[in-house]
Amino acid sequence: MSVLKIHPEKCTGCLRCELACSYMQTGEFQPAKSVIRVAPFEGHTSYAPYTCTQCAEGWCMTACPVGAITINAVGAKDVLDDRCVGCKLCTIACPYGTMFYDPATRKAFKCNLCGGAPACAEACPTAAITYEDVTTEDWLGDFARERTARVLAGAS
Amino acid sequence: MAARHLIIGGGTAGMNAIRTIREEESERSTITLVSAEKPYSRMVLPYYLDRSIAESHVFTATAKVLADWGVTPHLGKRATALDTTANVCTLDDGATVEYDDCLIATGSSAVRAPVPGADGRGVHSFWTLDQARGVIAQIQPGSHVVMVGAGFIAFTILNSILALGAKLTIVEVAPRILPRMIDDTGAQLVEAWLTKHGVGVRTGAKLTRIDDVKGRLRLKMAAGGDLVADVVIMATGIRTNLDWLKSSGVKVNQGVVVDDHLRSSVPNVYAAGDVAEGPDLLSQANAVHAIEPTAQEHGRVVGANMAGKDVRYRGSLIINIVEVCHLDVASFGAWDDARAETASGVRADRPAYRKLLWKGERLTGAIILGPSSDIWTTNDVGMLKGLVQSGVALGRWKAHLKKNPFDIKPAFIATKTTSMLLPETILGRPSKAPGETPVAV
Repeated sequence: MSVLKIHPEKCTGCLRCELACSYMQTGEFQPAKSVIRVAPFEGHTSYAPYTCTQCAEGWCMTACPVGAITINAVGAKDVLDDRCVGCKLCTIACPYGTMFYDPATRKAFKCNLCGGAPACAEACPTAAITYEDVTTEDWLGDFARERTARVLAGAS
Repeated sequence: MAARHLIIGGGTAGMNAIRTIREEESERSTITLVSAEKPYSRMVLPYYLDRSIAESHVFTATAKVLADWGVTPHLGKRATALDTTANVCTLDDGATVEYDDCLIATGSSAVRAPVPGADGRGVHSFWTLDQARGVIAQIQPGSHVVMVGAGFIAFTILNSILALGAKLTIVEVAPRILPRMIDDTGAQLVEAWLTKHGVGVRTGAKLTRIDDVKGRLRLKMAAGGDLVADVVIMATGIRTNLDWLKSSGVKVNQGVVVDDHLRSSVPNVYAAGDVAEGPDLLSQANAVHAIEPTAQEHGRVVGANMAGKDVRYRGSLIINIVEVCHLDVASFGAWDDARAETASGVRADRPAYRKLLWKGERLTGAIILGPSSDIWTTNDVGMLKGLVQSGVALGRWKAHLKKNPFDIKPAFIATKTTSMLLPETILGRPSKAPGETPVAV
């Protein structure tokens, strides 16, 4: 399956992915409703977008007590709004912090790869987010480790 | 002859076991389900209570689905005895079911405070679907509902009671609310939040009796200040359903003692869910974890093992979340370990709270509290679970988090927790979607 591959060194922190994502997912241009979230590093001099890995276990999906999370046609874990009751079990079951909850709709929501045409990848002006047929991996770890060295030096 | 599996209990553990047997088996087996109730999810009953879903939404398998899965159901029947020498289970109507292996997944029941009047008219438990129906019929806008007990179950239905337009008072015998889910600091924040939202909270309050007075209920309190209620809900804990196993020969402690394959002391008898005392992820000691995610994981592991696979369960992690008037309250793992090294941060005005607990470089527990609308709350809820679940060595991030307990995200990402989590699966393979269970042909 194709997944979102993140190239953190290319991210400029413009937040277009968050705007595109929230618009696609909820019809609003509101980064707080985006399921891809740009994380700042080194005092906001570098950035990286973070989103659902579409992990093999699907902790959100297996935790759902009413079968409201399924695998859609492009292989993404996807919330069925008419089944979701808003119990939030998926938000504590997901160990990546990529299950979200909208108090307005009382539903959980997450990255569903926009059904095969991810708005974030399309909106990214620097190709820091690409949609490719590769195995998902920890795209941000090494980048973040390097870009947080100064924060940690201050902490010790 | 095809293997004969017997599943006793149609809750989360039992239904996950059935689905997983069908997913994993190489030869078609026979599956018999004995369940006192039709299979439904207790997790979603609060949403039935506030009428945001129809009753039909709570069922996890209809008669047709059970037929599709090739399950022979005995619904409305209770198992009363298990003969583990003859491999026969006796039901309350006298019928018997023979098996090659069986799963004990009989769950737990609500218990009431042992006071006079606790079983009287107008006093309810909220645990089963039948009990939920009873409560729904009684609460009207303007009703005064008194909830006895301020534990997790009480809090799951708190929002629903308020949504129905009822007035709510919570009475708790312990000195604080949510005694088994959050610490003193967290409890104080939640209590203040409840008061702000018009919910009466009385802690350290001992109920002595309930009297029916002209159609209303008077709750007599040991320290005075009696309460008058239209509806009383007893959310005073649950008890594991073990009594029927007395002469079975299956080893029982707090629950049915199981090994890392969830086998009991009798090799062809498994246990799962609230009734099982299985390995804890962090300590590897056996414990009863009466929570939905454990029932689900237990059920799947047992299903795979019953289907002939060799799946070791690495242990369950205590995780709990409740939403209280748009405030999320969650805790993970060994959040109450008095010997752990801790760090915490409070922002009383939001309110927001983080408590982190360590053993060496690893996070072993956490408490998190914050507004549901705050994206950092949901973000951190999952990441804290990931840090505890993965046991990632936090290294120098530990010192950073001790100073900045709200700064979970960079710590999670930079310690490469994602790369530790990605290979993790419960069954050693990618999970299947709920609708993908093979059906009988």
